[in-house]
Amino acid sequence: MSLASDHRPAAPEGLAIAPALPDILKAIKPRTGVTGFLRRHPTIAVGGGLLLLLILVAGLAPYLGTVDPSALSPARRTRPPSALYWFGTDMLGRDIYSRVLYGTRVSLLVGFAVAILASIGGLAIGLVAGYVRWADSIIMRMMDSLMSIPPILLAVSLMAITRGSVGNVILAITIAEIPRVSRLVRGVVLSLREQPYVDGAVAAGTRTPMIILRHILPNTLAPMTVQATYICGSAMIVEAILSFIGAGVPPNVPSWGNIMAEGRALWQVKPFIVFFPAAFLSVTVLAVNLLGDGLRDMLDPRQAKGH
Amino acid sequence: MLGYILRRTLSTIPVMAMVGLFVFSLLYIAPGDPAAVIAGDQASPEDIARIRANLGLDRPFLVQFGEWGWRTLHADLGTSIFTGLPVTQMIGQRIEPTLSLMVLTLIFAIVVSVPMGVVAAWKAGTWIDRGIMTFAVLGFSVPVFVIGYVLAYVFALQLDWFPVQGYTPITQGLGPWLGNLVLPALSLGCVYIALIARITRASMLEVLAQDYVRTAKAKGLGQKDVLFLHALKNAAVPIVTVIGIGIALLIGGAVVTESVFAIPGLGRLTVDAILRRDYPVIQGVVLLFSFVYVLVNLVIDILYTFLDPRIRY
Repeated sequence: MSLASDHRPAAPEGLAIAPALPDILKAIKPRTGVTGFLRRHPTIAVGGGLLLLLILVAGLAPYLGTVDPSALSPARRTRPPSALYWFGTDMLGRDIYSRVLYGTRVSLLVGFAVAILASIGGLAIGLVAGYVRWADSIIMRMMDSLMSIPPILLAVSLMAITRGSVGNVILAITIAEIPRVSRLVRGVVLSLREQPYVDGAVAAGTRTPMIILRHILPNTLAPMTVQATYICGSAMIVEAILSFIGAGVPPNVPSWGNIMAEGRALWQVKPFIVFFPAAFLSVTVLAVNLLGDGLRDMLDPRQAKGH
Repeated sequence: MLGYILRRTLSTIPVMAMVGLFVFSLLYIAPGDPAAVIAGDQASPEDIARIRANLGLDRPFLVQFGEWGWRTLHADLGTSIFTGLPVTQMIGQRIEPTLSLMVLTLIFAIVVSVPMGVVAAWKAGTWIDRGIMTFAVLGFSVPVFVIGYVLAYVFALQLDWFPVQGYTPITQGLGPWLGNLVLPALSLGCVYIALIARITRASMLEVLAQDYVRTAKAKGLGQKDVLFLHALKNAAVPIVTVIGIGIALLIGGAVVTESVFAIPGLGRLTVDAILRRDYPVIQGVVLLFSFVYVLVNLVIDILYTFLDPRIRY
């Protein structure tokens, strides 16, 4: 690649033109493909890789040297970690390694399900609020009210009136997350509907549902993807908190929050019961948040400079 | 200005009314018949019906809601199903530890996080910045009870610097009070610090790119003055906003922190109430926390007009 060019206009009379720069710049070979992408976005690589690993762990839990996570063994209570019981056993003699591995399923299920459901619900409400003028203030007042109840308390009170089950936990956390998503979507929609291409579509006679589907919705997907990742991480934490305080999934389900709740009474003498689920939970949420940060930087390079 | 403050204050009324409606519905649709509980096992259906009529539980939803709202406005939150004590009295007994924990965490978090964010923005792109931002991601990802257990294990069990669990009222001395609250406040503060530091950094980066900052530097102002006098003041609005919004995190976190450190506060009261399905208590606590949250954000909205004179409503 040469900076000197043959198309330079001829110098006017009496004006000296600086000589062309020597060819010192090496050609930049843009990295393409998957490796190039991962190199440019290390947080996505690390977060996504960790998450993939955890998904594998959840899927392959029965084949990773685990035993039945609910198998009681009263004779082998609160054994410290050893070659036989990698993470030790709890006060009922259950194998903590197996329980933690199976717990990955609960956490990932709750995280992903809440992220998807809250996104769909928030998208629907936010689109309506952002596009239907008369509904806007009513919907947003309702969302403001829901948002003035701290999310964990909202989820806790919802769990208090229902039976503890994985489905109910997902529903309760979803309801607690929806107001924030709809607020985000509404903001995006309000700015999008002022765009010239939306005016153009209106002028061309496109019907409102079609405008929303074709011109508004696709543009909300980038911020929604980032938001969904963060919701996934926060839902995992809320699930663990709910289970930890006894308002989450039923005690017989091996979830990280439940394992920690069971180890709570003994944590001063047998800290390993609490430690392993805590470590798995932290790493999982970290992976999800790293992925979210990476996606944000990738999808919105303007904001990335600020971070 | 006064008009704005008045209007903004009045606008919290419908929000609180909606919160009230939600919280009331919670009790209304909650499983279990209070009349049957009060009547006991031996009661006949007629007895239960009579008690239900006495309690006014057979009236329409809106009538009951109106009456409940009226009582709530007079600071009557009903009586606990489990202890039979007035809910306001139970909350009153538990409020000091929670208030202490939250105020201490708030002060600690602001004192730590704002300078952190300022330094990260100032040193943007360096290893200091990256270190602070790594901490921020970690603070978001590690749940409050995990931090709590780790801190308690290291600083209370192993090093024996602080008591492991419990709470000492402030009336029994500032030292013991503080000693019991240091570790809970540290663990509760982490996520809050991460949040504020992140917003402070982003807001500061934006302000530091402004012309008046360059002018301030050009006229020979010291780095510290530029950062804290000129830049931080102009970056304050998003920071104060996130401090207000973050109170919700603090409230949710307090419930868990109190469980980890066995602090007899409102969070423990909530957890106990959930396990016993003591709905009036759950209602009361949720209502109180939401009220505090709305109030804090009202104050912050009004603060804006002082922080940024350009904001006029």
